[in-house]
Amino acid sequence: MGSDIFEISVNAVKIVALFLLMVQIVPLLVWVERRGSAFIQNRFGPNRVGPLGLTQLLADAVKFIFKEEFIPEKGRAFIFYAAPVVALLPATLAFVSLPLSAPVNVETFEMFGQSWGPYTFQFQGFDFGLGIVYVLGVSSLATYSMLMAGWSSSNKFSLFGGLRASAQMISYELALGLSIVGILILYGTFDFKTMIAAQQGALSFHFFGEMVTIPFLPNWGIFYQPLGAVLFLVAVFAESNRLPFDLPEAESELVAGYHTEYGGMKFNMFFIGEYGHMLVASALMAIFYFGGYNIPFVTPEQLSGFLEGFGYVGTTNSLMTSFLLHLCMFLKILFFLWVFIWVRWTLPRFRYDQLMDLGWKTMLPWALANTIITAIVVFVMRM
Amino acid sequence: MTSTVLFYLLSVVSIVFALGVLFNPNPIFSALYLVLTMIGMSLMFFNLEAYFIGGVQLIVYAGAVTVLFVMVLMLFDLKKEKQAFTKGLFSSLLKYFSAGALLFMISGASLMSMGLMTEGAEKAEPITTKQLAALLFTDYFFAFEVLGIILLVVAIGAVTISRIRGGTHAK
Amino acid sequence: MLSSMMMEVGLGHYLFVGAAIFIIGMLTVLMRKNVIVILMGIELMLNAVNLTIVSFSHFSNNVNGQILAFFVMTIAAAEAGVGLALAVTVFKKFKDVKISFFEHLRG
Repeated sequence: MGSDIFEISVNAVKIVALFLLMVQIVPLLVWVERRGSAFIQNRFGPNRVGPLGLTQLLADAVKFIFKEEFIPEKGRAFIFYAAPVVALLPATLAFVSLPLSAPVNVETFEMFGQSWGPYTFQFQGFDFGLGIVYVLGVSSLATYSMLMAGWSSSNKFSLFGGLRASAQMISYELALGLSIVGILILYGTFDFKTMIAAQQGALSFHFFGEMVTIPFLPNWGIFYQPLGAVLFLVAVFAESNRLPFDLPEAESELVAGYHTEYGGMKFNMFFIGEYGHMLVASALMAIFYFGGYNIPFVTPEQLSGFLEGFGYVGTTNSLMTSFLLHLCMFLKILFFLWVFIWVRWTLPRFRYDQLMDLGWKTMLPWALANTIITAIVVFVMRM
Repeated sequence: MTSTVLFYLLSVVSIVFALGVLFNPNPIFSALYLVLTMIGMSLMFFNLEAYFIGGVQLIVYAGAVTVLFVMVLMLFDLKKEKQAFTKGLFSSLLKYFSAGALLFMISGASLMSMGLMTEGAEKAEPITTKQLAALLFTDYFFAFEVLGIILLVVAIGAVTISRIRGGTHAK
Repeated sequence: MLSSMMMEVGLGHYLFVGAAIFIIGMLTVLMRKNVIVILMGIELMLNAVNLTIVSFSHFSNNVNGQILAFFVMTIAAAEAGVGLALAVTVFKKFKDVKISFFEHLRG
């Protein structure tokens, strides 16, 4: 935490920028989702308003804002209003704690007749040193928005949607938590930045006391934890209530689930919350299993040395490095967001008992097995 | 300074929400107040530099236990209770009085015995999760294993109890 | 004297907050009729105890306190699970969850 004006203002700007990043990516994702679904289903999708239908989003926003407000007569007004706000909170709080790039080192410089000392700015909202525990804790609060929305609507479909959502999220939280234990054992830390730092360069590991290096593969977590990665991806799909796990809002059974009674901007906030969850999930997937902000085979030091060759030194160099790494991170995140959309328009929905069976009888045992095997292998290999 | 301000803010918030649990006649609102109390307590743990415990508090209490409470209450779909509190003026007065006396006694006792407590070693750095884990898997290993067995027994027991007389999965 | 006590938050302050929340939890158990709200009161009490333990651990720089708090949390979660299962069973029979229905449990 900084103590002088420059550092404090940069930190404040950073937090606002991270929030805006999360909120502003949603309309783009909606566009990608609609065009993508049209592409998958061999249709056109929105293509009338603006180039490639991009301004459709603006039209949607105007419609959302000017829609009539509606509260169910027997509903609970306060909870009804609070639920969409609560839907936004967890994803935002989780997202600001994710490191999106390497820290920026600012050297001493002169401004307003003063010299401002060297700074290090983390590309991250804040850091408890708690990493994944904090993210899991905060994102588990997302259930309340669904329960509150479902209950306060005083509508049976909404209530069932909310109940389904909470049962599903509690069940899959177990599998989610256990699937990353393997990664935690492997890197020996909760902290994201340490994990990412451990995934630099080419694949190399201890094999009975010897270092083995495989030069044609990057040093990514997925090569150590393939089963964990698959389980994590599935659990994350269930946690963000996306197809094939969107039982809480299954339109053929429950109209629209917990947000049946919501319209306009309030509905849109649930939407933003869902996309925020996808964003956090994609970022976690990238951090745990795909090297975070590392460019494959290139360490940040090599990158900054490369940039020095072009005459960028000091602060500019650090900024450029950070920016390039951030770009790499975002490409990975965008890829996983596309996977989310791709799966949504490819797979059919589960039945509810199938969903529970998958969570409790398949994923939980496999995640436990993954944990035990990882622990044994890590212990034996490092001897 | 920050921790002082945070302490007063969080303690007031936690106590007010805990009072909400006690006095709100609708059980669902009680449960939602309980969530807010839990979040306040977890922030209090962060303020005490017990980051891991705070995170676990968020996951376990706010994320799982209270969700169960809210979910079960919504499943029952209880109406606002006409008789949320126990009857009897005299007995409730007695209860409030004894609770107040207990609070007075506890705080008095802790104030009086404050001098007896020797200050620990000078505050070095906050306790890390690694230290916790090392202790948990060495000194407290037996307790940890027993805890695992208890959780298993509880899981089986809860399933058995709630499946008595049919239930949703009855064939 | 008073202002210096207000400014420097020590162990006593945390103990008082813990005691207050414990008392509120106790009153919840004593005053309410709904079984689930009574369980909530128990959770409040356990949480207050946790706060006390963690603040002792913080002010005496001792790791063991946090482990104790960790154990308490696990047990509290287990207790809530069993309690809610019992409440569900009682609700199935009586369509309500008043504590007085537990008189009918026997054998």
